Amino acid sequence: MLKFHFIRKIFFILLDTNNFKITQNIPPSGFRGADINNMNPFIKYISGIFTAVKSLLGGMLVTWRELWRKKVTMQYPENRDTLVISDRWRSELTMPHDENNEHACTACGICMINCPNGTINVISKTIETEDGKKKKILDKHIWDYGMCTFCNLCVITCPSDAIIFNNDFEGAMFDRSKLVHQLNKPGSKLREKKPLTPKGEQKAP
Amino acid sequence: MNYSQPLELTGIISTLDTFFRNNLTPFWATFIEGALILIAILAAYAIIALALIYIERKITAFFQSRLGPNRLGKYGVIQSIADMVKILIKEIIQINDVDKFLFYAAPFFVIISSVLTFGAIPFGMGLQAVDFKIGIIYVIAASSLGVIGVLLAGWSSNNKYSMIGAMRSGAQFVSYELSAAFSLMTIVVLSGTMQLSEIVENQRYAWNLFNGHIPAMIAFVIYLISGHAETNRGPFDLPEAEGELTAGYHTEYSGLQFGFFYLAEYLNMFIIAAVATTVFLGGWMPIQIKGLDAFNQVMWYIPSYVWFFAKTGVLIFLSLWVRWSFPRMRIDLLLNLEWKYLLPINLVNILLMVLMVLAGWTLSDWFPGLFAIAP
Amino acid sequence: MKDIILKAVPDAVIEEKQKLTVTVEPKQLHPLIKALYSNKELPFDYLINLIGMDWGEKLGVMYLLSSSADMSREVVIITSTDDRQNPLLYSITDMYEAAHLNEREVYAMFGIRFINNPDMRRFLLDDDWNGFPLRKDYDADSRLNPITIVNKEIKDIAPFIMEDADGKLTEGTTRIFDENDYIINIGPQHPSTHGVMHFRTSLDGEIVKKIDVNSGYIHRGIEKLCENMTYPQILHFTDRLDYLSASINRHALCMCIEKAAEIEVPARAEYIRVIMDELNRISSHLIAWSAHCNDLGATTAFIYGVREREHVLDIFDKTCGGRLIVNQNVVGGVMFDIYPDFQKDVKAFIPYMREKLVEYDDFFSHNAIALGRMVKIGNLTREDAISYAVTGPAGRGSGWSCDVRKHKPYSLYDKVDFREIIRNEGDSYARYMNRLDEIEESLHIIEQLVDNIPEGEILAKVKPIIRLPEGQYFQSVEAGKGEFGVFIESRGDKNPYRVKFRSPSLAAVSAMPLICRDEKLTDFIGIGGSMDYVIPDIDR
Repeated sequence: MLKFHFIRKIFFILLDTNNFKITQNIPPSGFRGADINNMNPFIKYISGIFTAVKSLLGGMLVTWRELWRKKVTMQYPENRDTLVISDRWRSELTMPHDENNEHACTACGICMINCPNGTINVISKTIETEDGKKKKILDKHIWDYGMCTFCNLCVITCPSDAIIFNNDFEGAMFDRSKLVHQLNKPGSKLREKKPLTPKGEQKAP
Repeated sequence: MNYSQPLELTGIISTLDTFFRNNLTPFWATFIEGALILIAILAAYAIIALALIYIERKITAFFQSRLGPNRLGKYGVIQSIADMVKILIKEIIQINDVDKFLFYAAPFFVIISSVLTFGAIPFGMGLQAVDFKIGIIYVIAASSLGVIGVLLAGWSSNNKYSMIGAMRSGAQFVSYELSAAFSLMTIVVLSGTMQLSEIVENQRYAWNLFNGHIPAMIAFVIYLISGHAETNRGPFDLPEAEGELTAGYHTEYSGLQFGFFYLAEYLNMFIIAAVATTVFLGGWMPIQIKGLDAFNQVMWYIPSYVWFFAKTGVLIFLSLWVRWSFPRMRIDLLLNLEWKYLLPINLVNILLMVLMVLAGWTLSDWFPGLFAIAP
Repeated sequence: MKDIILKAVPDAVIEEKQKLTVTVEPKQLHPLIKALYSNKELPFDYLINLIGMDWGEKLGVMYLLSSSADMSREVVIITSTDDRQNPLLYSITDMYEAAHLNEREVYAMFGIRFINNPDMRRFLLDDDWNGFPLRKDYDADSRLNPITIVNKEIKDIAPFIMEDADGKLTEGTTRIFDENDYIINIGPQHPSTHGVMHFRTSLDGEIVKKIDVNSGYIHRGIEKLCENMTYPQILHFTDRLDYLSASINRHALCMCIEKAAEIEVPARAEYIRVIMDELNRISSHLIAWSAHCNDLGATTAFIYGVREREHVLDIFDKTCGGRLIVNQNVVGGVMFDIYPDFQKDVKAFIPYMREKLVEYDDFFSHNAIALGRMVKIGNLTREDAISYAVTGPAGRGSGWSCDVRKHKPYSLYDKVDFREIIRNEGDSYARYMNRLDEIEESLHIIEQLVDNIPEGEILAKVKPIIRLPEGQYFQSVEAGKGEFGVFIESRGDKNPYRVKFRSPSLAAVSAMPLICRDEKLTDFIGIGGSMDYVIPDIDR
């Protein structure tokens, strides 16, 4: 029923030429063409054709020039060797370890508190040092690649510069569980002496 | 004057013909020849479509400062073959609530109409399956069958998008069919025949485009525009209008059925270009200048089918160029263009052509020594 | 102005806070706003923001009103009700068309129904949603609102509450569409709705008769999430509202917090912020241009626009490591200083972009088909633009001078020289050309700033934990799509009590039913492109 109604309507509309808005000959704002409103209808008709054809050819000229220009497509992965990734590009959160397998994380948990969506989980454990003091050290620093919004808050608020984002952007996995990274390497421990230029708390926004 | 034509296929064809006629009864000879021609046409149909799909994707990419398919084979040449395999092995999804018979019949209407037209095209010297006396009428009639398939597809899909697409297509096709037919008729007036092979022969020294100068050129432009519109390609792609109607009349189709629409779309583009070549640009006839036998001989060394495909290729490129340069039209702008511009111009044009032919103002009338076929 | 207010409502409580704040009883709200709306000197005819509030025992609404003639004059009107079971307030939809969707959103989020609003369905949420999410006592238990995969029938019945002359309330329902209407769903999955938007469109042949806007398919509850987060944590959400104006949105929130906490931003950071904002505006307008062309069927133009945008994104990428999600502004300054070649890259981009703008004109702006598709299509008059609160290039295309950068200058915008692009035609083409011209103006602004970036700090000294003093804070900026506003109510904690974002896209979408009526279906898509809305901005 609706179908018939619809067909009748659409043909009715197509046949009734009053429905057609004649919009082609009205010079629009900003268009610096000839003023063709005050001409007699026949000349208007003819000049309308020529203005239209001219504008269309202008458009075709642009694509024609484009045909011969150098293409902009990047051919990944063929260009892997030459691909430049910006230094500040944030891909994967990492914890730099030095040659002694030592990192700078004190397991303070500031990154975990600052993370807006619970991507970071710092698991600490308490050990007893040689001189008998109890000390909190890092057990696991877990970061979920799949949940991270790369807002950089963890990095800029870290008091000991223990974590940074690296440039390694090829992080696709077949399994979500593989996106959960443990950042501290097995057997690693806290670097004893502090870095030469401690950033301190003032960097926090 | 007879020129040497080393690469023409006429020899092979007549050898085959003689072989069959000598060894079989006339009925079986005709039957086997018919079957061979059918196979050849269907094979050419598929190959041309695949080639066109690849070419279009590549050229489109170049227009858009991209590279296009470049993963399968060198420069991606076997991309469209891979696509074909994919479409062949894809599931044909059974849809509830469609009008089953019409839904499955629709793609065949579209593809059959384009195969029928395809068969009548003279691809080269002696490479024409059917050569009717009323060739042009036949081409117009057969190609206009396709719209039935489109309308049926939209109607039977039971989908509002498809429906609107099909209705648009109906309106568009009926309108532009008129212009296309009239512009071909203009040339019929000029060359005095409707037989495609004769039209080609008549253009030996002067293409109809130049022989009929002003009216022929107007007819040529109108034919290109309306032919382009008939193929439902941008800027006239309202029936598909991907941005509005998702895929228009073939939204609900999948797998091979969709493949049929896809194939027919590309082949229709080829057919329009081929008919324009045959009627306006001298078809498969090489460029020849009366009196310069050496030059003509060189031209004849290039086989006729190469000439045909080269000319057609230029027109196809033009069609791609237009398609990827313009935004889509709206249905009322589209019908305005046809009914307020193309059709009136066409009617005046056909009258002009009649007057010209009667008054003897064609190039071959003015310079018979240069352009006329008969001495 | 106080005279007008007191004349209309003698017992209104007027306070001078960040903005002039007036508190009235629900009954007096409508007369007061009517008086402000219809006063001769400076009619307050522009509803910037309509904010639902839950103050514990009271539920209320805040109206941020301004005048279309002088946008720097603003007034906040507050009204509230004690009834938490069946809260009823008065609608102002008879004056402000923009209030329609906003009041429906308040109903969905707070359960406040508005008397005299003709269509009181929930916006952004399903009709059968349990609870009102932005109320403080909302139970977020997922068992109350289970995820179903069952297809839900859309009901075309809108409830309303009307008040007749002698104050009697009657509830009733109206039908959105007639029974015989040919309705087609544009969206939620559709190539041209620029996101997950759902327009239910009734057609008469090819002609659009009526549009019903449905949204909320990708609502993320950002405003609710903000209430449990510290201010630095909230920042990253703003990038995800209107993702095309990421940097500008974040600038607004940072400024709002900085003003409240009285933090002075270093000059260098201001320069970097403004340059980044303008680059962001260029990239937003480029996408708008490309998407508009694509909606009109010119796929090639889309790729050209994206190609140019890539250069902007490369600059973003090198500056702050983000392309779409710029992530540059932080409270007190910017996160990253500019990189050494920043000036060189920006200065190389400016002439390149100018050259491409000429190419765009040749390619599309003068194209006869494109003109046929845009000129005199989708007419939005100045009055309607104001009433629907359509700002940005679209509002300026209707002849309404509504550039926040001119009217309420922030950051460096009172120091740089730029033109406000205004066209009076109000059609798709005016909006289209406005965007291209604004790209040129943005380039001009960048040109003035890029060589003069002062040396110095990029980040002011900020306490590690930011607590805003108790109060209500507003900040508006000119984003790519129009006026983007931030409202924060603080109770002195490290978390905000309530955050509300004014979304320019919501206004653009709310005007769609008006400007698409009696246009062709094809043009509906084109007009959508010219209004340039981004759905995540609506589904906050």
